[in-house]
Amino acid sequence: MTRAEAVALALSMLGDDDIAVAADGAISREAYNARDRRRTFYMLGSMGQVASIALGLAMTRRERVVALDGDGNLLMGFGALALVGGLKPANLHHLVLDNGCYATTGGQPALSRQVDLAAAAAGAGYPWTRRCARDADARADLGDWIAAPGPALLDLVVDAADPAPAPRVPMTPEEMAERVRAALAAG
Amino acid sequence: MSGSKRLDALRAAGVGFVAGVPCSYLKRFFAGCAELPPSAFLPAVREDHAVAACVGAWLGGTRSAAAMQNSGLGYCLEVLTSLHLMCGVPLPMVVSDRGDPADYEEHRILGQRTRQLLDLFAIPWREARAGAEEEEARWLVETSERERRPAVLLVGKAADA
Repeated sequence: MTRAEAVALALSMLGDDDIAVAADGAISREAYNARDRRRTFYMLGSMGQVASIALGLAMTRRERVVALDGDGNLLMGFGALALVGGLKPANLHHLVLDNGCYATTGGQPALSRQVDLAAAAAGAGYPWTRRCARDADARADLGDWIAAPGPALLDLVVDAADPAPAPRVPMTPEEMAERVRAALAAG
Repeated sequence: MSGSKRLDALRAAGVGFVAGVPCSYLKRFFAGCAELPPSAFLPAVREDHAVAACVGAWLGGTRSAAAMQNSGLGYCLEVLTSLHLMCGVPLPMVVSDRGDPADYEEHRILGQRTRQLLDLFAIPWREARAGAEEEEARWLVETSERERRPAVLLVGKAADA
């Protein structure tokens, strides 16, 4: 399964009220192209901070908050696992699109090939974690993950190969932030 | 009332979410934070996570503030530049003013350049005075929201309140 297919599958499971935060780079672009939503925040920089942004949302909002993370991103901001696992926001659902490498920068291997991210999240205190390494299980595992009591982390293994990259999100950074804020202010 | 005049002043100015990492110059402030409801205070493990969480709270409509030692500004820089400054996200920041010549060695190099660092990124700052907590809290909130960027209150040892 490509990362773009996995992103699209995950987004197809979100309800209208759900809030999503998409990690910088390819994940944001693929999320935009698969299913643009006014309640999705598309990051551009700040690699490693998607779970922390999602945590700030989850602590202050009642809706389900979904973090679309990458394995390299999660490893960069590893302390966020302790924050989410320790504080246990029940409405936070954390998905790691795990391609085992830094695909955007040329496919350099990431330590996610050695580090079990789901086990790390469980150790940090996430009550629900799972690693999905078979495409055939992805749909069911995503269904379990989105329905699980949070915080829940699914480490979803995707292809290392990065086919033609999705185009950049055609909004300014200010517009991306303001659009989400306005959508959440509306209800 | 939390026991921290500075925290109470920020709450009175509409701040509903605080995230940060403690500093010994901000003992009263963080003691007050510990009394807040769990949804209103994030005890972060590093300062970059704190300011990123404040972006999330702000997106959700909650006025948020960060608190930290000035050494944490280095960790924050990527988030402050590629989220707050780039997207126009306001952020009141309470930052300890470590690094005077009598302070410990580990605080001096960054501490003595804190103002230059903030000036370099056009982040407004001012120095806290004991007794001025309410006016300073209003300045933090109004400045950061008017300019859509972080604003920093530098808190010396004598201004922890």
